Amino acid sequence: MPENKFNPKIIGEFLNFGRNLVEAPMKVSVPHEVKIGSTQFDVAYKEDKMRLLHFKSLTSKQIRTPLLISYAIVNRYHIFDIDPKKSWIRNLLMQGFDVYLIDWGTPSKIDRFLGFDEYVNGYMDNCMDFICDETDVDKVSIQGYCTGGTLATVYSSLHPERVKNLIATAPVIDGWKDTTVVSNIAKYFDVDKLVDTVGNMPPEFIYFCFSILKPFEQGVEKYLKFLNNIDNEKYVDSFLKIEKWLDETPPIPGELFKQWIKGIYQDNLLIQNKMYVGNKHVSLKNLNMPIFTQVAVGDHLVSPECSMPLHYAVSSTDKILKLYPTGHVGMIASSFSQKIVLPELGQWLKERS
Amino acid sequence: MQNESNITEYYKKTAMFWSDMIAMMSSKPTTLTAVGPIRNLSSNLKKITSELTEANKEIVEFNNFLIEYYKQLSDTWTSAQKEVASRAPKIPQNEESVEAYKRVWIDIFENSFTGLFDSKKFSENYNGLISTELDLLKRWNAITDVMLKSANLPTKQEIDEIYEEIHSLKNRIFKLELSKKKTENARK
Repeated sequence: MPENKFNPKIIGEFLNFGRNLVEAPMKVSVPHEVKIGSTQFDVAYKEDKMRLLHFKSLTSKQIRTPLLISYAIVNRYHIFDIDPKKSWIRNLLMQGFDVYLIDWGTPSKIDRFLGFDEYVNGYMDNCMDFICDETDVDKVSIQGYCTGGTLATVYSSLHPERVKNLIATAPVIDGWKDTTVVSNIAKYFDVDKLVDTVGNMPPEFIYFCFSILKPFEQGVEKYLKFLNNIDNEKYVDSFLKIEKWLDETPPIPGELFKQWIKGIYQDNLLIQNKMYVGNKHVSLKNLNMPIFTQVAVGDHLVSPECSMPLHYAVSSTDKILKLYPTGHVGMIASSFSQKIVLPELGQWLKERS
Repeated sequence: MQNESNITEYYKKTAMFWSDMIAMMSSKPTTLTAVGPIRNLSSNLKKITSELTEANKEIVEFNNFLIEYYKQLSDTWTSAQKEVASRAPKIPQNEESVEAYKRVWIDIFENSFTGLFDSKKFSENYNGLISTELDLLKRWNAITDVMLKSANLPTKQEIDEIYEEIHSLKNRIFKLELSKKKTENARK
C-alpha cells in the first residue's frame, strides 16, 4: 500500500490561513472606520460641491509659484495623501512648494448637466483666479493626474497665459491608442442612453470597470495576501486605506461622462485638435509652457500609448517625457514615487518656478 | 421562433384588449368625476400594462445577453483551467510548489480573462447587456412616472427639466459675474 506523504509546510500554511480567517475581525479595524489623509489643509475656496484645498506649509521658505493639482474625476483625491510616508502632497510641501488641490466632491443628480466647460472654464479657472489673488502671482503651475491630467491639458490649451508649467501625470490623451479594458468597453458604449436613463455615471459601474482590469490579482490574490499578513500592522494599515479609497468612488456628472466617452475614447477629438469646450477650440498647439509628461510603463488604467502623444503634440520647446517602471497608482503613492518620481519632478519644477 | 413571437403577440394583444376595455368601462363615470380616482386608476392601469407588456420583449433580450455573458465567462474559465491542468505536472514538487502553483494559476487566469475583457465580442455583448438593462430601467421609470403623476407629484422628466433650468441659470449668472468683473478690471 502506498504511503501518504503530507508536506508539513503546506499543512502549516493551510492551518495558519484558517486561523487568520477566524481572527481577522478581532485583529483588524473596520474598513470604514479607517482614517485616510494625513496632511493638514484649509478649504481655501468652495463652489457648489468643488473645494479648493490649500495644504499647510512644512518649510520656512516657499517657492514663489504655487502649484495647483487637478485630481481625477474618478475616485477621491486621498490617494495623493493616503499615508505620510507615501504622500505626494507631503513630499512636495517638504520640497518647499505651495500646494493647492481641487477636490471635485461627490456630484449628485442636480450636477448631471455639468460638462467640460463648467469643470475647466468654471471651477478650474475660478480656482486659478483665487490662487492668483491670494498669492499675488499672474501664473500658476498645474499638475493633473489621470483624467485630471486631461482637464489640466484642456485648461492649459484654453488659458495658456495663466499656466506657468504643466505637469501631466498619466493623462488620458489619445483614446484610440489606449489598449486598456476601460477603452475597450468605452468603444461600444451607448453613453447617451445611460445618461438619459440614469443621469450621472453610477459609482458601481465605475467600480465594475476597475474590478475587471486585473480580476485575479486584484480580486483574489490581494485578499489572500491580506489574510496571510494580518499580523503585519503596516501591511494591514496600508491595505485598509487603499481599500477604503477604492470604495469611495463618487459618481461622474452625466454630461461630463458623455463628453468624456464620446470626445476622448470614441471620437478621439483631443489629440486631433478637434475638441471644443464652451464653444472654444482646444488645440494642443496652444501648449507653449514648459511641460513634464509622466508615464507609468505598467499602467493598466491609462496605457502609456494613450498618454505619450501629448509630448509630441504640443508646441512647447521646453518639454520632457519620463517613463517610469511602475503602475498607475505606484507612480503617485509608493516608495518608488518618493525616491524617484517626486525628486525628479521637484527639481524640474524648481528650475522653472 | 415564429411560435414564440405569436405567443408574445397573443399575450400583448390580450393585455391591451382588457386594459382598453377597463379604460373604456371606467370612462363612463368620468362625466361625473373627471379627475377622480377611478379614472386615474384605469388610465394608470392601461399605461402600466402597456409598459409591462413591452418590457417582456426586453426581458427576453436581456436574458440572451446575460446568458452569453456567463457563457463567455464560463468558457474562459474552462479553457484557463485546462491550461493550468496541462502546466501543473511541470511544476517541480518541492516546498515551494504551492506558491508556484498559485502563481501559475493566477497568471493563466489573469491572462485569459484580460484577453476576454479586451475582446470585441465581450465589449459588444456587455454593452448590449447594459443597453437592454437601461431599456428595462426606462420602462420602470415610465411606470414610476405614471404613479407620480397620479399622486400629483413631479415626474423624472419634470425634475430633469428643473435641473437643466437651474444649470442654465447658474451658467447665466456666471457669465454675468464674469462680464461684471471684466468691466470693474477695465475701470481700474
